[in-house]
Amino acid sequence: MRLTRSKIFAFACLVAGSIVMIFPFWWMVVTSLSTPAEASASASASGFNWWPSDAQWSNYPDALRRMGSKPWIGFLDALTNTVVITTLVVIGQVFSCSLVGYAFARLRFRGRGVAFGLMVATMMLPVQVTLIPMFIMFRSFGWIDTMLPLVVPAFFGAPFYIFMFRQFFSQVPESLIEAARIDGCSHVRIWVQIMLPICKPVIAITTIFTFIFAWNDFMGPLIYLQSEEQMTLAVALNSFQNQYGDFRDAHYLMAASIVTMIPCIILFLVAQKQFVSGLSLGAVKG
Amino acid sequence: MNLHGTKSSSCTGGFGFAIPWVIGLVLLTLLPAAASIIMACYEWDGLSFSSGAKWVGLTNYSMLLFDDPQFKRALNNSLLYSLIGTPLSVGAALGAAVLLSKPVRGIGFFRTIFYLPHVLGGVATVMIWSWLLNPRFGPINEGLRMIYQLIDPLARLWQESGTTKWPRPGWLYSPEWCKPALILMQIWSLGGAMLIFLAALQHVPKNLGEAACLDGANRWRQFWHVTWPVLTPAILFNVVTGLVASMQSFNQAYLLYNRSQDDGLLFYVLYLYRCAFEPPYRVGYASAMAWIFFGIVFGLILLAVRSARGWVYYEGQP
Repeated sequence: MRLTRSKIFAFACLVAGSIVMIFPFWWMVVTSLSTPAEASASASASGFNWWPSDAQWSNYPDALRRMGSKPWIGFLDALTNTVVITTLVVIGQVFSCSLVGYAFARLRFRGRGVAFGLMVATMMLPVQVTLIPMFIMFRSFGWIDTMLPLVVPAFFGAPFYIFMFRQFFSQVPESLIEAARIDGCSHVRIWVQIMLPICKPVIAITTIFTFIFAWNDFMGPLIYLQSEEQMTLAVALNSFQNQYGDFRDAHYLMAASIVTMIPCIILFLVAQKQFVSGLSLGAVKG
Repeated sequence: MNLHGTKSSSCTGGFGFAIPWVIGLVLLTLLPAAASIIMACYEWDGLSFSSGAKWVGLTNYSMLLFDDPQFKRALNNSLLYSLIGTPLSVGAALGAAVLLSKPVRGIGFFRTIFYLPHVLGGVATVMIWSWLLNPRFGPINEGLRMIYQLIDPLARLWQESGTTKWPRPGWLYSPEWCKPALILMQIWSLGGAMLIFLAALQHVPKNLGEAACLDGANRWRQFWHVTWPVLTPAILFNVVTGLVASMQSFNQAYLLYNRSQDDGLLFYVLYLYRCAFEPPYRVGYASAMAWIFFGIVFGLILLAVRSARGWVYYEGQP
């Protein structure tokens, strides 16, 4: 009896919590489909408007057309830039972090312990410290207003993911590598043909997290990109807000926001299992 | 153990594999950090170092610490947001994780929903909240008004003064309410910390809980003596990462600053960004600010870790 009562209580709390979590998204959809008048009246004395009386699907193309100064071009440019940058960042991180993680886990070289300690120490350094000199350096390379400052650093690895790959590679049985070595396999081949195929879960998590990070990154593009042709969706969405900052255009802002979120929603729904397995991998660092 | 040939080849090969990170460490961390220390002692607009930079020693630091009211404001804002928001959001994440660890029907679905806001965090979610919190047209104030209407008659029973006007929070537009508004957003995206707690909860020994139950321990005592000790390392981890992340928060402050009054949303990193990347480009000044920031963040981490000796339990320790 006690148990069932506590279960019912927990269930009620979960339902209430879920409503709180979902409500902002729901409201976003409702606003994006409303007429301007309805959007600003949907939460008013008459009570909540849970669904627009006449859903304005045309708000979506209208909003995207208005992004940037040239109709459609602004949105398409931002979309292309975001996709290209995100893809390159993901490739760079997976490549470099798995490579370095393998070195730290499985290979002996002079100063490995010191190097590993140094890597963990750099995690403590806030990015703000290196931000300004890096900007000046990239400017002297002539890289401002190109995607290079956003993409190139990804190919040098990030301590957090290197650490995750290292933890995973450390668990691979020594006999597997030993056998390959005896058969005359080089370390590059071991890495490509043995290590990468078995560390799919880590690759998946690195891909998902760096994808979401790069897709949503705001400060990087804000600092390094200047012209409208180079902009990413996150920054374009903000300039869109400033352009139409008035509450009367909330329906366009919400429609455009939903469109920028779609890839992350799809990725999350497709890769849910990996998020949960990230749970046990996350336990390593926790 | 190894074959003779293997050892020597792995020596050179091993370093080769680590080369991407070594180059990154030198070019993207060590050199910029060194340059930043030097720059912090100059007054410079970031353009031509040979003609434009002027050595000022530690003046940048003393100016920041002693006569820059905006810096003080930014530091206060960030500390307030970080020190109040982090415990609240970590607490909420802990509560959510405990609920989501129960074997209830459809638990996977609930976990997905609770995690979703964290995954989608970005400019778009800031936009949602700025609309939800709109003082005139937003549903949050509308909901508060409805609650107020319900409790108002009750309140009047013992409060004679006819309070017909309810205190409508201005949220992002008000100097007092803008930080609670951001804390609400922070609590909403509790998914990341929640996931860490869920992982930690898997290590709670089941038989210990059952034994305690047989001994007649109530739920609360069971939680306090069995679950809580297992969770303490995860709490420390979430508090430290939460403090660092909220001190570093930039997006919300940048995107919503125009709405706030009285520099209410001037956060530390936003002020740093403005000094460095907006005219008159005080690059040296901003570098000094970055190092003070490093000191503060490091101090916060140290404080949390030091205090951990008193309340964090590790396995194999009484």
